[in-house]
Formats: sequence, C-alpha cells, structure tokens
Amino acid sequence: MFNTGRDRFFPYMLLLPALALTLVIVAWPLFETFRLSFTDAALKPDENWVGWANYEKIFSGNFPEVILRTFVWMFWSVTLKMVVGIAGAMLLNAAVPGRAFFRVLVMPPWVIPIAIGVFIWGWMYNGQWGMISGVGQLLGIFDGPFEFLAYRDTAFIATIVTDVWIGTPLVTIYLLAAMQSISPDLHEAAWVDGAGRWYRFRRITLPLILPAVATMSLLSSIWTFNSFDIIWILTEGGPRGGTTTMIIDTYKTAISRFRYGEGAARAVLIVLFLSAFAAFYFYLISRATRGGANNDQ
Amino acid sequence: MKALKYLVGAALLVGSSTSALAQTEIYMINCGDGVTGNGPAKHAELIAEWEAANEGYTVNLEYVPWGQCQEKSTTLAAAGNPPALAYMGSRTLKQLALNDLIIPMDLSAEEVAAYAPPVLGTVTYDGQAWGAPVAFSTKALYWNKDLFEAAGLDPETPPTTWEELYDMAKQVQDNTDANGFGLAAASFDNTMHQFLNFVYSNGGAVINDAGEIVFDSENNVQALEFYGRLAEVSQPGPLAYDRAKLRPLFTEGQIAMFISGPWERGLVGDVNWGVAPVPHGPMGDHGTLLITDSLAVFKGSGVEEQARSLAKWLTNAENQMAYDLAAGNTPIYSGTGTEELIAADATWAPFLEIIPDGGPEPFVTDYVGLQDTINEAIQGVVLGEIDAATAVADAAAVLEDYK
Repeated sequence: MFNTGRDRFFPYMLLLPALALTLVIVAWPLFETFRLSFTDAALKPDENWVGWANYEKIFSGNFPEVILRTFVWMFWSVTLKMVVGIAGAMLLNAAVPGRAFFRVLVMPPWVIPIAIGVFIWGWMYNGQWGMISGVGQLLGIFDGPFEFLAYRDTAFIATIVTDVWIGTPLVTIYLLAAMQSISPDLHEAAWVDGAGRWYRFRRITLPLILPAVATMSLLSSIWTFNSFDIIWILTEGGPRGGTTTMIIDTYKTAISRFRYGEGAARAVLIVLFLSAFAAFYFYLISRATRGGANNDQ
Repeated sequence: MKALKYLVGAALLVGSSTSALAQTEIYMINCGDGVTGNGPAKHAELIAEWEAANEGYTVNLEYVPWGQCQEKSTTLAAAGNPPALAYMGSRTLKQLALNDLIIPMDLSAEEVAAYAPPVLGTVTYDGQAWGAPVAFSTKALYWNKDLFEAAGLDPETPPTTWEELYDMAKQVQDNTDANGFGLAAASFDNTMHQFLNFVYSNGGAVINDAGEIVFDSENNVQALEFYGRLAEVSQPGPLAYDRAKLRPLFTEGQIAMFISGPWERGLVGDVNWGVAPVPHGPMGDHGTLLITDSLAVFKGSGVEEQARSLAKWLTNAENQMAYDLAAGNTPIYSGTGTEELIAADATWAPFLEIIPDGGPEPFVTDYVGLQDTINEAIQGVVLGEIDAATAVADAAAVLEDYK
C-alpha cells in the first residue's frame, strides 16, 4: 500500500524542482506584471490600486496606432523572411557545385552578434558615408546623400530590411531541412512524367514543406513581434515615433520613464497577443500530430 | 600545542574579520569607465583622503557605463536597495526628490555663495539644492575659418545673430561643396539640448521659477521656426543626426558651423576653427544651455550623513576645481581659476563668460517625457509636417503633465 502511494507521487516529486523554478522565473513575474498593471506603480515607494485606469489611458492615447504599426512591421518582416528563406533553401538544396560552401555562407547574419550587425547596417544607412546612399548616387537614383533613418517611411523600411537580414538564415536552414526530408523519388517520378521545375515546386515541394513553413511563420511572428534590439539601436523608435512598436513603447514607458504600472499594462497586452499566437501554434502542431497519427493507421 | 595554534589562528581570523566588518561601507555609483582621462584618478585620490579623515567608513566606488549608470541607480533606489551616493544628471533631481528617493544637500550659506547662481539653479527645487554639481558644460558655436574664406566670408568674423547665422550658412552652402550648418534632430536628448540653446538665446524658457510651464511663448515659436529654417542650410536628413554625429562632419569639412561644448576643442582635429557665443535671436541676447551632473545622496542607505559629507568633500571649491582641471571639464566654480584658464587659452572664453546668461535644463517630474515631447515638436517642424506655433502650443499642453 505504501509502495503504491510512493510510486504514484514519485513522478510529481521529480517534477517539483522544475515546477518551483518555473513558478519563480515565469509565473511570479507574470503575476506581478498583471498586478502592477492595475496600480500606479512608479518611482515612489508606495503604489495605489487604479483598476482599469492604465488600460483606459493606453487606448485613449496613441497606443492603438502603435499596435497597428507593430502588426504591419511584423507582417512585412515575416513575409519577406519566409519568401527569401524559401528561395534561399531552394537554391541551397539544388545540386550545384560548392553547395556546402554556400550553406556556410548563409550563416553570418545569424552568427554575427545582433548588436554588431545592426551597427553595421546603421552605417550603411548613413547618407554621408553609407554604402547604400553612395551606390544610389552613382546609379543616379539619389541627387545627393540620402539619410534612410531620417524619415518615417524609409526608417520603417530600413528596420524591416535589417530584421529580415538577421532572421532569414534560421528560416532558410529550417526549410532546407524540411526540403531534404522529401524523398527524391517523388521529384524523379514527376520529372520522368515531364513535370517542369516550377510545376514540381508547386505540386511536390511546397505542399510537403507547408507544415514547416506554417511552424516557422508562427515562431518567426512571435520573435519578430518582440524584436527590440534592432529598432532600438537603429532609431530608438523614431523619427517622430515612425518605428515605435509595442515592445519599444513598453520599454520607454516602464524603464526610461519609470512608469511601471502603465508599462505593465502594455506588457500584459503583448502577453495576450503572443499567447494568441502560441495557442494557434500549438493548435497547428496538435493537428499535424493527429494527422500524422491518422496517416500511420 | 598544535590545537592551541589552531585556536589562536582562528581567533586572529575572527578578530580581523570583525575589524573588517567594523568598516561601514558607502556604496557609490559613478558614470564612466573609470580609466579614461585623469578625472577618475583625481576622484580616487580625493576619496582616499576622505576615508583617512573618516575612520570606520570605506567607499565602495563602482563605475558604470554612461548608458546605464543613472538607470541603475534609480532602479536600485526604486527597489529599496539604493546606492548611498550616485552620479546623476541634475535634470532628474526633481523627479527623484518628489518620489522621496533622495535627500537635500543642506548647503551652508557659504557653500551656496561659492556657486554662480545659474549653476545652483540646475540643482535647486523648492528652495533646496538636491545635488552637488560635479560636472558642468556650456555650449558655443564652432566655425570653420577655411570654409568661410572659400565662401567669400571674413574667416575671423562669426555670426552674432540668427539672421547672420542663416545668411552665412547659406553663403557657404551656395559657394562651396559643404553644408552651412550642422543640425541635430535625432530622437536623442541632445536634440532638445541643441534647441534649448536657441530658446535661451531668444529670451525663452520652458518652465519658470514658480514651476509653471511657459513653453508656449513667442520667443519659443521664433526659436523653433528658426531651428526648422536651419534645415535648409544644413546637412541632409538632420533627423538622422545627434550632436555627436556632427563632429565627424565638421572635421571632414562637410559642415561650416555647429554648436557644441568645450570638449570639441581637442577633438575637431586639423580644422582651422574658431569658437563664439551662440548667435542670438530677435527677442534675446547670447545665451546657452547650462547642463550640470550632480552627486545625489539616496535615502535609505543608512549612511546618508556620511554620503553627504563625501559629496561635499568631492565638490568643494578647491577639490572640484582640481577635478575639473584634471578631467578637462568646464570649471563649475568661477573665480581666479577660470580667469587663469581664459588667459592661458582664449577659446575657453565663449564657454565661461556666458554662464551668467545661461538657462538650466528644465526641472520637471518626467524628464524623458519632456524630452520626447520637445523632440517630437522639433522633428515635426524640421520635416515641415507642422508649423512652429502649433508644435509649440501642442507641446506646451503635453508638458503640463510633467511640471
């Protein structure tokens, strides 16, 4: 009887350290963030319960505009990463001489520390000394030096391009692995039947890597939504708020301006958005798993 | 016998550690890397002297990089674990005082009299000085004499008014490959600082002594209008430039003029340069933004009195002057020291003689909020998206929340 009880609880006891750790480093800060979002916590030692005031303040200000900008930024960044990633994976999967070398070549944006990579991009965007403005002038695209980070639209695009540069290698490698899992027999059979490259891509490659594309799109959306360092180093959210996304706005409010309560309310909204992404991701995974299990039967 | 030796050894060890524990620590956070220039060595020397005179207290001085030092001190204080003494931008003192995180410096009448009133104004709120000024800067206009000559201007005559500044910058722009002026308009604190030089050179202000927002004034509208107009004769894309990024343009001969602090004198390289007071606007006289950083005593460390004593020791007239000279800073205390400085190097004059006419960084409860609001107005006008009068009025309305 005693042994049976011990056997029953033993697995839970093994889980206890991990559970305690999770409570301390995930659950408690999350709970605290939710609690703070209903207070006027700031630099002062005491804090008062303010109910929904922080949330009302958020939605009466320009935060809805910031939310919209965040989604537009994420949409373009993730879409470009997926398009370039698929194209890159196709090229790296092709039977060309020196393929291994090209596979290594795709890694630097991922391997270089993000801050250094972003600083390099910052210089490239400089109008006086930057390569892009210089080449643009040589080709007659610009009349004189053009500062990409000085205008809202071009700064917005510049931050997306940098994010795509940093995020694409992971997408490429992930999709390359998915492509390599496709049996060559399928392509050979289609080729024998007279199918062209584009037809084979549409009818064989794309459908078979679609679960990987979906998974990577979702994961990339979560990472991109939370992307802070690229925008902060390049523009700090400027000019005139043109690159201020939710995470930048939250940082400025909570850390730079010490408005912990208002910052926490913003953070809670980010958590809710990301939870929705994560829920969809787990739904897709479970559907894919069920589909796989059904196919096995 | 062997056991006795161990016992004696253990007793000595306990004794020595007890004696070490008897030393009360004063945790001090300073900004910088702690090695650049002669300033850190001078501070170390002064701290050692204070420790020798205050038996039982030891100073644990930590240098934290500029980007993080103030944020670290404030966050530690907000979390209830403050440093005893910390290097803070004086602009933050009101916010810290209102949140009960720091204590006043309790300056004596003699100590108050030693400071030039505008310098003391940078740390004073509600009749109390909340920090001891430890670093100080004023701004002036640098001009490139060779570019002036190439543009057909007298290389020895800098502009004294805004109109002259614009006209000379335009003449350089029209007659050379360089731009006339270096304009900072990035989303950064010194964009607001650059603009405030023009505000104070046109009789304007952001907040008055009574703590009222007075930003919405004709003086400030003119200053913002002129700042936006300068974009016509400045380097392309000023919103991509903070003040530090203008120096390379000046040293490369790509801009003929820019406004900065005395440290540029040693950094502008081979340029044939001159330096003059910031040109004044139609409603004012030459002015400048006075920026001080201070040593602030945080509440709750348990050694507040000793921290205050240390702050006063480091910043008294004699020690502060020695530190300023070692670090190459603008001297905080005026007097014979500064006169000697000007006599030895006349390029100090525009930075030191302007002090009585300078204005402080606005003392508000949310400095970053103030900075973002004013920068937003500047950027809007520089981009031509909003007119100066509307931008000033909008900003003034927002600033009411930060006074």
